Amino acid sequence: MKAIRVALAVIPPLMLTFAIPLVNRVAPRVLGLPFLLAWILAWIILGPAFYWLIYKTEGRR
Amino acid sequence: MSPPYIALGIIALVVLATVIFGLLAVRRLGMNPEQYIVGGRSFGALLLWVLLAGETYTSFTFLGAAGWSYGRGAPAFYILCYGAVAYAISYFLAPLIWRVGKDRGLLTAPDFFADRYGSKSLAVVVALVGFVFLIPYVTLQLSGLQILLTLAGYGTIDARLAVGGAFILITLFVFVSGLRGTAWASIIKDALVLAAVAFAGIVLPVHFFGSPAHVISMVLAKHPRWFTLASGTAPYGTLWFVTTVILTALGFYMWPQSMAAIYSAKTADALRRNAIALPFYQIMLLLVYLAGFTALLIVPGLKGAAADESFMLVIQKYYSPTVLGFIAAAGCLAALVPVTGQLIAAASLITKNIMKDVFNASGSQARQTAQTRAVVVMVAGLALAFWLFRPPSLVELLLLGYNGVAQLFPGVMLAFTRWRASAWGVGVGIIAGIVTLVVLQLLGHATDFNGANPGLVALGVNALLCVVVSAFSRRWARAEGALTAI
Repeated sequence: MKAIRVALAVIPPLMLTFAIPLVNRVAPRVLGLPFLLAWILAWIILGPAFYWLIYKTEGRR
Repeated sequence: MSPPYIALGIIALVVLATVIFGLLAVRRLGMNPEQYIVGGRSFGALLLWVLLAGETYTSFTFLGAAGWSYGRGAPAFYILCYGAVAYAISYFLAPLIWRVGKDRGLLTAPDFFADRYGSKSLAVVVALVGFVFLIPYVTLQLSGLQILLTLAGYGTIDARLAVGGAFILITLFVFVSGLRGTAWASIIKDALVLAAVAFAGIVLPVHFFGSPAHVISMVLAKHPRWFTLASGTAPYGTLWFVTTVILTALGFYMWPQSMAAIYSAKTADALRRNAIALPFYQIMLLLVYLAGFTALLIVPGLKGAAADESFMLVIQKYYSPTVLGFIAAAGCLAALVPVTGQLIAAASLITKNIMKDVFNASGSQARQTAQTRAVVVMVAGLALAFWLFRPPSLVELLLLGYNGVAQLFPGVMLAFTRWRASAWGVGVGIIAGIVTLVVLQLLGHATDFNGANPGLVALGVNALLCVVVSAFSRRWARAEGALTAI
């Protein structure tokens, strides 16, 4: 369970930093947006979902 | 009425209404330093959300982000990324900082260092670093204000006079209201900025080109590389992008006003919920970018700092003074409201960590609040002078500030690890980091390190020295202890 939470915590920041050179392209466009911009937006929206899961599964301190 | 009077009149009314709203929220509130500087540690999740968003999304977001999307393209996306990464870090770090602040009654960022590392000298170093890099941030807001007021006056008024007037008004506001006033003023500011950005990022593209997607296609036809980064080590290439996102994300909560905002939370839970909710606010930046791209098609050819005016110029040219007035008013609040939080934070560094802790200029609670208020006015005067004598270019100043405050990160982080750093290690690290920054700046750093962010290089030097000196200073302390034992 802890391992899953750690994974949930580190994936969004990694996708918005080290993964950027791998998605540095225009095509395919998503909803009219260039791929790079769409990728960044997707992870900005997914990030809170990941952190919400962590929030729900960890004990209240 | 002539257009400049309509637009400027609307701005004046909106700013006044916001000030009055903020003052109403704090009336009949007893002001001790804790209430004035960190809002009495009583902000629930919602007010905290408004405050954090209010302090984060400044006139730089409004003008600078559009300016970069207009002038550079994809490198502007770094702003979108670093906020999200910073919020992710804050989910874990902010509740820890808050807990220390609450248990030990801390008011400022340097207080945290003084408490964790048992050294008031270290706190003075941190206070000076925070103060020195905060002044340019305030100056940045004044430059943003100047751009907006010049546009709203259609070039007919001396904007510097208007900026001075607005700044004095807002300083008086801070004098009275403290951080709670900032939080309440942020409510109006956030709402108005959202509306203005929606207009600029949706109405503009639809009105001129049918849809945002079409705007992107048209920009692509003219500038095929606008939406991708240069590869690898080129200026503003992928290496620059990744290192800058990391550095600015680490620096994000190290600003004195951000630490104060963390302390102002009522519960650690409010901070966690904010870390989850704040990224949604980032989506607003997409609209700012679209406004910049649209402006690139309508009013091409703006160079350098003029790019910051991009979409505001379109609005000035093609829409009524009323529309211009409301959108510029939103921008003015985006400059003025963050300034209030910055002034309180800067002043508290001086009164708490230098006057009180070094020169023992303490006194009753009422007297300490009065001192902080007086220093607010002095700091405001200093920022105004700095701005008058040295009109700076926006983004570079902000990046420099981030590089500076990010040097505090190792000290904050290592306060929560099992391996303990020493006050000497943290202090030497911070100073070495700043010296590295200054040297790189003087040498013209942009081409060194293959485009990597110089702040991250400085942070590496900082962290290394922090670890080495901490290890040595502990060994030295042990040796001294052994000698005393003999």
